Amino acid sequence: MFLSADVTVDKQDGFLGVLATAAEDFIAVFNKGGEVLLSLMGGILPTLIVLLTAVNALVRLIGPEKIENLGKAAARPGLQWYPVRYIVLPFVAVFVLTNPMAYTMGRFLPERFKPAFYDSAVSFVHPILGIFPHANPGELFVYVGIATGIQQLGYGLGDLAVRYMLVGLVVIFIRGIVTEAITARMMKKGA
Amino acid sequence: MSAINNLIVKVGRSVGGVVGTLYQAGRDSVDTVIRNVIPFMAFISFIIGLILTTGVGDWIAKGLKGSASTLPGLLLISVVCAIPLISPLLGPGAVIAQIVGTLLGVEIGKGNIPAQYSLPALFAINPQVGCDFIPVGLALGEAEPETVEVGVPAVLFSRLVTGPLSVVIAYFASFGLYTSK
Repeated sequence: MFLSADVTVDKQDGFLGVLATAAEDFIAVFNKGGEVLLSLMGGILPTLIVLLTAVNALVRLIGPEKIENLGKAAARPGLQWYPVRYIVLPFVAVFVLTNPMAYTMGRFLPERFKPAFYDSAVSFVHPILGIFPHANPGELFVYVGIATGIQQLGYGLGDLAVRYMLVGLVVIFIRGIVTEAITARMMKKGA
Repeated sequence: MSAINNLIVKVGRSVGGVVGTLYQAGRDSVDTVIRNVIPFMAFISFIIGLILTTGVGDWIAKGLKGSASTLPGLLLISVVCAIPLISPLLGPGAVIAQIVGTLLGVEIGKGNIPAQYSLPALFAINPQVGCDFIPVGLALGEAEPETVEVGVPAVLFSRLVTGPLSVVIAYFASFGLYTSK
């Protein structure tokens, strides 16, 4: 032990040396991967489990059938129902029913709104992840992947999470309107 | 006596119901984490390990740095992801978006991509969201077959417009994000 302090071993060359270096490089990949895995599991997993449990319990206690009235309201024609249909309903559906059951809320809407509602709802399953990861835990890394980089820089994630969700709401609103218009044109052409 | 009895039964039932619900909620969430979250974490960790230890990261960085740290570059990414023939292929499980997101995250962490670009990047890598799932999603909403026939192209074409548009909106919304510490 104490000898090794002042004895330095030259890097082995030749065939065995190459093998040894290759082996070290090989295992280094997985050591690094393991480190990353541990930091991910230690970092976000405990919070995620607790949050998932709380929201799941909340949804169970309230009962998902309570939001059906909202679906019926969103089906009404008229300009003032656009925000309900393409902002409030997708948000509530994704929050309460989560991906993929959120799309079942489309059944309260007339046929001409269904593609637009689907487009709107499915586009919100990622922007919601920053604040409510329970809505789509299987696809968490769309957000967490980029968020990890921000964390490494030492910044807080709150700003990014809030902005991601707010911009997401604006985007799903626009998507709903655009897709509704395109659907209307295509249905006219087909008829 | 029977009134007290009833009360006790009522309280017992509702407390039992709440505790049972909480317990079931916990079981569900652990189930989700084990089935969906941890496997993906394992897979992503392997990829990050590969990027950080081998030279792969360098050429990815070169490729991404040019496109992911300017608005036109991000718009280009979003347009490619929104092309109607490509978007359904990129969609399934959001695997592509998750991998690209992780790659970008690594580069942001290293400082190769400015932090405020994280917001527009989140939209640039994701205009294809759900494009593989349109018929199923519409069927969940009990849509008629005719609606599905119209709805699939309607959503795909809509993405060509709204995909790049979302990047522009996110770009302007990212002003003041992580610019000063």
